[in-house]
Amino acid sequence: MTPMKPFTKKAFAYLLALFVVLWTVVPIVWMVISAFKPSNDLYDPNPFKGFQPTLSHFQGLFSGANSLWSYLRNSLLAASISTFISVVFGMFAGYGLARSHFAGKKHLSFWIISTRMAPIAAVIVPLYVVFRSFHLLNSIQGLVIAYLTFNLPFAIWLYNAFFAELPIALEEAARIDGASRLRTFFYIAVPLVTPGTLTITILCFIFAWNDYAFAATFTGPGTQTIPIAATQLMTQTGLDWGKLMTIGVVTVLPMIFVGLVVRRWLVQGLTLGAVK
Amino acid sequence: MASTLKVNSPELMHSQPAPLKARPHWVTTYQFWMMLPALLLLATLTLYPFFYLIYMSFTKVSLIGGISFNWVGGKNWLNALNDPGLRQSWWLTLVYFVSTVGLELVFGVAVALLVYELVWGRNLILSLLLMPMFIAPVVVGLIGEFMLDPVHGLYSWMLRVTSLSDGNILGHGPSAFAAVVLMDVWEWTPLITLITLAGLTALPLDLLEAASIDGASYFQRLVHVVAPLCLGVVTVALLIRAMDAIRDFAIILITTNGGPADATKTVPIRLYETAFRFFNLGYAAAIGLTMLVVSIFLATAFLETLRSRQLIK
Repeated sequence: MTPMKPFTKKAFAYLLALFVVLWTVVPIVWMVISAFKPSNDLYDPNPFKGFQPTLSHFQGLFSGANSLWSYLRNSLLAASISTFISVVFGMFAGYGLARSHFAGKKHLSFWIISTRMAPIAAVIVPLYVVFRSFHLLNSIQGLVIAYLTFNLPFAIWLYNAFFAELPIALEEAARIDGASRLRTFFYIAVPLVTPGTLTITILCFIFAWNDYAFAATFTGPGTQTIPIAATQLMTQTGLDWGKLMTIGVVTVLPMIFVGLVVRRWLVQGLTLGAVK
Repeated sequence: MASTLKVNSPELMHSQPAPLKARPHWVTTYQFWMMLPALLLLATLTLYPFFYLIYMSFTKVSLIGGISFNWVGGKNWLNALNDPGLRQSWWLTLVYFVSTVGLELVFGVAVALLVYELVWGRNLILSLLLMPMFIAPVVVGLIGEFMLDPVHGLYSWMLRVTSLSDGNILGHGPSAFAAVVLMDVWEWTPLITLITLAGLTALPLDLLEAASIDGASYFQRLVHVVAPLCLGVVTVALLIRAMDAIRDFAIILITTNGGPADATKTVPIRLYETAFRFFNLGYAAAIGLTMLVVSIFLATAFLETLRSRQLIK
């Protein structure tokens, strides 16, 4: 086999890359296009027929009695409250864990992370019964609690990884200069893990925002989140793909945007601190 | 009593000098107090439902007029052992798990190696490739169902035009199973790519150059230089993906919901149906506990691997 010329090799690599990009991007682009396609063009047998872009799906969804606004508000509330609680509690606990050395530390951290890895289907069943007896079904509070079961351990574990990397000498210097433990924590350690805080906040928010199973099981009229709005459309009048893809766009685009904002720290975040 | 008093007397206390740096009792450490609120919260959120789950698996749960539990002993567990449908679901889950995670690993590593070779537009291409993993699995299912809609779907249109299929992908068992596997692969291959690429970019360049100067071909470099150095990172990627693959089931729930004819009824789908369609919560609890045990086994393997490679403290 003769070695390929550098140019041929390069062209081949970019051709392959184009193929991979198409496989990845086409469904997303198609979803966005379909959200602006009039219904009669959407149901045309020829998918490539030209069409006049329309906002009718957006207008239909964001107006009227059962508008998407309330679903959007519920999603925002449940995701941001659970994220806030996870980040605050996780920050303290992650620091405490990173700075402590005790015999059972291995078991404690295993317990923390194993709660994050519990299968959703297995968690839903007991939570449903518990929520039913505490009247937490069909409430934002219940949804926040459900999201905490996976976001809190995630935040603790990841803060632990971020704090463990800080050189302890900085904090010792502050202590020698007379700063209290809390002052050292807030003025030295916390500012130094700002990328960590940003990553943890965004990932927790995405995890909660993207949930379907918990919301589908625990919420009722008035507390449903955006993904549930989509499934309600699926059962009512057959499949209204224009509206469904519009809900898809509203659900997905903000998350892609914030996700790519933290791309630099994403690896560390998603591998729970194991890869930098 | 007398001896206790003696210990407290000043002379005795001074006769034994205290160690210069006494180790503080753990209750008095700041670390303990910083961890306490979060750990209490986490314990309440997870241990209470966990013990509930164990209790439920030995009862018949009735939701009519408040909740009541009737002790049935090991009946649910016997059912879980003898249910041929559940056994079939476990097989499906295994096939689903191995094929999704396996394909994601192969494609993810291949794409990472490809992106590593690109110079121009590398950041843009990577950003485009990462998009699917931020998408809610339920929307991935929606998009997949739309692309495969027998009448209006783009992909089923392409399959019809090329006469590869009649276009009704989700209507037949084997193709529906392949479709839900590919939807998962579409969403999560980028995760493996991202992690592997982080490992590749951390490689010492001089090593690769040295191998190149010594006349090693691309594949020789791959096998003898890149592979040994990136094995740890790829293992992390594999385990992270495996843990999450066991957790979520939204894609199947929204697209086929286990059908057609149970062709995609994995264990979580069967569990969900048992609990919230037939409201057999006791039996669902037994299935759930089994899943939990399996995932804890995987988590242990995961953490032990990371620890043995010194990737976490």
